[in-house]
Amino acid sequence: MTWSGLFENMSPANFINFSFLPKFGTFFIQGVEYTLILSVIAVAIAVIPALLLALMRLSKNRVVKSVSGAYIALFRSTPLLVQLYIIYFGVFGLIKIPSYNIFGFIDIARFIPGVVALALNSAAYVAEIFRAGILAVDIGQTEAARSLGLNGRQAMSLVVLPQAIKNILPALANEIITMVKESSICMTLGMTELMWGAKTVAGTTYITIAPYVLAAIVYFCINFPASKAIEAIERRMRRGDKK
Amino acid sequence: MATKNDSVQLLISVRDLTKTYNDGAVRALDNCNLDVYRGEVVSIIGPSGSGKSTLLRSLNLLETPSSGSIIFDGVDLADKKVDINLHRRRMGMVFQHFNLFPHKTVLQNITLAPVKLKLQTPDEAHETAMKLLERIGLPDKADEYPARLSGGQKQRIAIVRALAMNPEVMLFDEPTSALDPEMVGEVLDLMRDLARDGMTMVVVTHEMGFAREVASRVVFMDMGSIKEENTPDALFDAPKDPRLKEFLAKIL
Ligand SMILES: Nc1ncnc2c1ncn2[C@@H]1O[C@H](COP(=O)(O)OP(=O)(O)OP(=O)(O)O)[C@@H](O)[C@H]1O
Ligand SMILES: [Mg+2]
Repeated sequence: MTWSGLFENMSPANFINFSFLPKFGTFFIQGVEYTLILSVIAVAIAVIPALLLALMRLSKNRVVKSVSGAYIALFRSTPLLVQLYIIYFGVFGLIKIPSYNIFGFIDIARFIPGVVALALNSAAYVAEIFRAGILAVDIGQTEAARSLGLNGRQAMSLVVLPQAIKNILPALANEIITMVKESSICMTLGMTELMWGAKTVAGTTYITIAPYVLAAIVYFCINFPASKAIEAIERRMRRGDKK
Repeated sequence: MATKNDSVQLLISVRDLTKTYNDGAVRALDNCNLDVYRGEVVSIIGPSGSGKSTLLRSLNLLETPSSGSIIFDGVDLADKKVDINLHRRRMGMVFQHFNLFPHKTVLQNITLAPVKLKLQTPDEAHETAMKLLERIGLPDKADEYPARLSGGQKQRIAIVRALAMNPEVMLFDEPTSALDPEMVGEVLDLMRDLARDGMTMVVVTHEMGFAREVASRVVFMDMGSIKEENTPDALFDAPKDPRLKEFLAKIL
């Protein structure tokens, strides 16, 4: 191979050679839909176990506390890809899900294991979001509620959580953004999300860079405005607090 | 002001109460004994860090005793088998920093516990709350959120929130310390009213004037123990404990 051959692909034109679009545009449209559905559902599923984990982590009972602590440590200290493979092949190797397409492009045989794996991973992060949100509520609120005779659960659900939500929601939205990026890893399991679309187009058309550039642009155009919007909402809420 | 007479009833009796923190490194309360009779106003004074808050907060078990007992109306609250929630309903507590629920309106702050604990129907609770708000001259604030109230208004509403539960005793932890000076009066006036109506009160305070005028008994604490207790006149005019003398010399 000559030097010029080596760098042939690097010519600027190859980065923006979007000639595949008319024919393969649907890969990207369905891919981005798949990615968004996957990310939102994964985080939505994560919310309930995450709340449970957070409350367990804040419990006085040592056993309860360390079970939750172990879960969080495990999922935060191992790569998502490893977790994905163990859950996909391990757990869902035993529980077979029949192949069935929803919206015409989401095969539940792959989607369900993938979304469960992402959700289990996300639960560990969302649990910490909940915990921080709960701890940010002044302890005096709990004391006031308890001194009125409300039990621990009532104080949490009627007084603390409604106030913690304000701290939690922006962080939860950020978690969805993280998930939009991280879920690209699901390509390796053949889930037909955005990154899978880009790779498939690259493989089919032999246009090797531009499909990934397009994927990057799409990811950016979703995540950047979304994170800016979250920041703006957070600022507004903080201003509201000071009044 | 309620005075002791022959029919006085013991309401709270603290026995040998000790509270330590950090595995015994900090002794916040050291063998405290205190009796509170129905209709009495007991004022707790003492230097910062002497254990006043810890003692007060032990009375409704916001602090769990390390040892000793707190007999409330015949029941030892320190006993783990006791359902503390049932007893806390009967003891109102008012905090230095008000601790109103910021996500609830004034009315909702007052009605939340009575309704959720099924002590009153929503209609009854609403009616009680409005009566109490009228009593403190703030019925027009019913639908405001706490953030829009002055400190004095917040504290008076916090007091009323506790009163809505029909408590048998009210516990106050420096209720005026976080207030601007011009708002102290309105809160003390309300507390004075309560005392006049015969409410049993335990008040941790730096307001010596209030203690002298309203309290039936003043308790002086230092280093986690009760050093002296007496009627206000005797305690302020003829202190015996050397630390109390020092304390009074500093603040009066
Ligand atoms: N959660 C805690 N952990 C460790 N030490 C504590 C804790 N709470 C209180 N203490 C200590 O216990 C002692 C008594 O505290 P307490 O708050 O009862 O004092 P106080 O008389 O109310 O003081 P102040 O007038 O400043 O409110 C202090 O030495 C304090 O540092
Ligand atoms: Mg104190």
